[in-house]
Parts: sequence; structure tokens; C-alpha cells
Amino acid sequence: MASHVREDPFAAAFKATRMPMIVTDPNQQDNPIIFCNEAFERLTGYSNEELVGFNCRLMQGPETDPDTVTSIREAVADGRDVAVDILNYRKDGNTFWNALFISPVRDEDGRIVYFFSSQLDFSNVKGKEAELAAARHKAEEAVAKRTSDLQASLAARSLLVHEVDHRVKNNLLTMASIVKMQARLTQDAGQRQALMSVLNRIEAISTVQRKLFTTDDVARFDIAEFARELATDLVGALRRDDVVLTLDLSPVYVPAVKASPLSLIVNELVGDAVLRGLGECGGEIHIVVKRRNGHFLIRVEDTSQPVEPDETSAEVSRMLLEASARQLEARIERRNEGARTIVEVTLLVEHEKDIPY
Amino acid sequence: MKVIIVEDEMLLAMELEHEIQAAGHAVVGIAATKEQALELVRAGPPEFAFVDIHLQDGPTGIDLGRQLAKQGIPYVFVSGNIKKLPADFAGAIGAIEKPYTMNGMANAIAYLSDLVGGDDSGLPPASLVLAADALPPPRY
Repeated sequence: MASHVREDPFAAAFKATRMPMIVTDPNQQDNPIIFCNEAFERLTGYSNEELVGFNCRLMQGPETDPDTVTSIREAVADGRDVAVDILNYRKDGNTFWNALFISPVRDEDGRIVYFFSSQLDFSNVKGKEAELAAARHKAEEAVAKRTSDLQASLAARSLLVHEVDHRVKNNLLTMASIVKMQARLTQDAGQRQALMSVLNRIEAISTVQRKLFTTDDVARFDIAEFARELATDLVGALRRDDVVLTLDLSPVYVPAVKASPLSLIVNELVGDAVLRGLGECGGEIHIVVKRRNGHFLIRVEDTSQPVEPDETSAEVSRMLLEASARQLEARIERRNEGARTIVEVTLLVEHEKDIPY
Repeated sequence: MKVIIVEDEMLLAMELEHEIQAAGHAVVGIAATKEQALELVRAGPPEFAFVDIHLQDGPTGIDLGRQLAKQGIPYVFVSGNIKKLPADFAGAIGAIEKPYTMNGMANAIAYLSDLVGGDDSGLPPASLVLAADALPPPRY
């Protein structure tokens, strides 16, 4: 048989190829190797004499996966092709990853006469694959840990923000309650008026705090929504049919830092108009909040009878307006058109803060 | 209306009491815990209740509210964090968010007392978030 193979041009190719190959004989006891090429000798470190007559399992070792061995054994028993990746051992005990392909060779009657097997050492690829997998695993672990750290810190921060928000709200209401209590108890009308004027400003700031957190976006504040609540609450509480409030509002978002001074301005203007509307004949109050040419406009118009406010309140109101306007770099213009008093506040709004949702 | 106030901050409860009285209603009791509130209800069911979410014994206001609703006692929450409320508002008519203003509270009381008296013709004031309105606002 050996001489037969030697004469065959296919056998010559088999011998010469760089692909390690063997042939086994299933018709002999334990399916021994009957031929191996030089490439196979180089791969395994065994010589032809050490291989021929032995079963291929001599290349298996303690780290070889028994399931892989089983799948080979079953394929051979069934006379099927099999392609597996298996960890094999060289003669010197070193391991290599072997991409093993085994296929039966049949005679004309379909009986299996040989098994042909080719091997490919892909330890290099396998090593890189393992390295890559390990690196990816490490990176994933690091990302997971970092994400969990960030989430924990975010949760803690969010909890803290809510706790602080809750305390600020409670404190504002407590301050308002103290002022209300004193206003209620005092016998002096002037004192009461002064306290109520303090309460009014505390409440304006309270409303800002409430509105800041009702939107999920803490950083922005809708001044139109603030004006609506302030004016409807103020006029609603008058319970007078002869004071008519009309609103022309569109959302104008301002950064949170501008919310308080801007709200104080709106509070002063609307409060002033309502105060003057309290004359004998009532009046109309019209409030506009909108954007105009990159500017932001608040206009309060009223047809109320002019009322002389007391000097201190007028001065406090003037100072609050002035300080708030300076802080915002806003312009306040007041004019009279017949019976109508018109106050306009204009300021530049940062454009990106003003983009609606 | 005969009203109870459930609030653990006594100063706030006292001032709220005066605001309710100023609107012409009688405050028949102030409770700082859920148990105290239920005790008041057992002593004589009020016609209305103002309930904070966070009480002296923890965030028990919501559970208390459900019990009030079960007994047919109309109520509103008065709280600094109405976002904590469940979607159904635990059976409350609505919620007044702290820190409320004097005018805001006065308008809310006027509207609520009309509503409980059977008159639902008025418009709810800005200070009162009605349970049905508690959905997220539409995006512009």
C-alpha cells in the first residue's frame, strides 16, 4: 500500500504540502495512523515512526476539551465529516490550537476505507482572540463600574437637590408665615401695610422657587407662566368684577439665575397696576409677555385711576425695579396714553435658552 | 365647611388655619401624623381636609388621603413636592403646591368650597393643580 501511495501524483502532493495531514485506517484495531506527511511531523514534533500505528489521541492532553473529543469520536463512528477546534499537545508537551478536519474516504461500494485528516495550527489567532476577549472584558468591567459609580453619584446628587429644594420651599413658606402672623397681630395699620408689602415680595420669590422645579428643566424658567399665575391670583383674590384682566402671553424661557430679578419686576409692575385698579371705578389691566426681535418684552397696561401711593412703598418699589433692571441690563419705559398707563420692560435673551422644547 | 388640617409644621398649620378661617370656614382640628388625623376623623368626619404628604410619621399623607377618599371626605394635598403624588392623586380633588401665596390659597379655598358645595361653574385658580390636570404638560 505504501508503494501504491508513493506512485500516485496525489500522494506526492499530499507528502509535499505545507498543510499537516494524516490518513488513518478504521479497519484496523483502534483506527491507527497509517500515513502522515512531513508538515504533520513538524507540527507535532513526532516522527513518522512514532506516529504510524498509533491512534491520534496521543495528541490529546489534560487541557483538551473532552466534549470536543466526543464529537470527533461520534463523527468517526457515524462516518461523517467533522470540523472542530481542539487543543492538542506536541511531543514536547506544548499545546497548540488545532483546526481539525476529518473526512471519511470510501471505496466504490461506499465502504469507508480510510479517514483523511488535515490540521491547521491557529494558536496565534486563538491567542489574539483570547487577548482581545480579555481586553474587552476588562474594558466592559471598567465601564460598568464607572457607570454604576456615576449613577450612584447622580442619584445622591438628585436626592440632595430635591432635599434642598424641599427645605427652601418650606423655609420660604415659614418666613411668609412669620410675616403673616405679625401682620395679623399688629394693631398698627401702617405696620401691617409694611409687613404685607414684605410678604408680597417673599411670595413672589416663593412662586419662582415653585415654578423652577415644576419644569423638569431646572435651568430654565418660563416668565410668561409666572406672570399668568401672579396676575390671575392677584386679581382673582380681589373678588371685583370691575377689575378686568387680559393676558397676551407666549412662553419665554430665561436662565434660572434671571428668574428672581425678572419675577420681582413683573411683581412690581402687576402689583402697581392692581393697586391703582383698586380705585372707585376699577379698570382694565393688560399684560403682554413675548419675544420681539431677539428681545424679550414685558408690557403692563392699565386704565386705572392714578392713586397716590405712600412715599415709602413707592420708594421701595422704585428701588426694587431699579436694582432688578440693573442686574438684568433691562430697560424700563413708562408712558401715559390718555387714561392708559403703559410700562414696557425689554431685555436681551440668550437665544439658545429661548428655543422651545 | 368644617375642615381639618394635616400638617407636621405647626407654624404653617397655624397660618393655614387663619387663612381658612378668614375665608369663613371652621378648622375643627390639626393633626401632625396619620394616626392623629384618623383620630380626628373618627371623632367626627370633617367636610374637607388639607393634607401634607410628608408628616411627622413619614410620607404617610398619601395613605391617609386614600382612607379619606374611601370615607367620602373630599380633600386636597398641600405639599412642596406634588410630583411624589401617584397618578390618581390618591383620590384627592387636587393639590396646592408649597410655597403657596396668600392669594393663591384664598383663591383655591374659594374654588374648593364652591366645588364641595356643588357649584363647579368657577375656573380653578393657578395655585390649584386638579387631579385630572396632573398629566405632563404638552411639549411646545
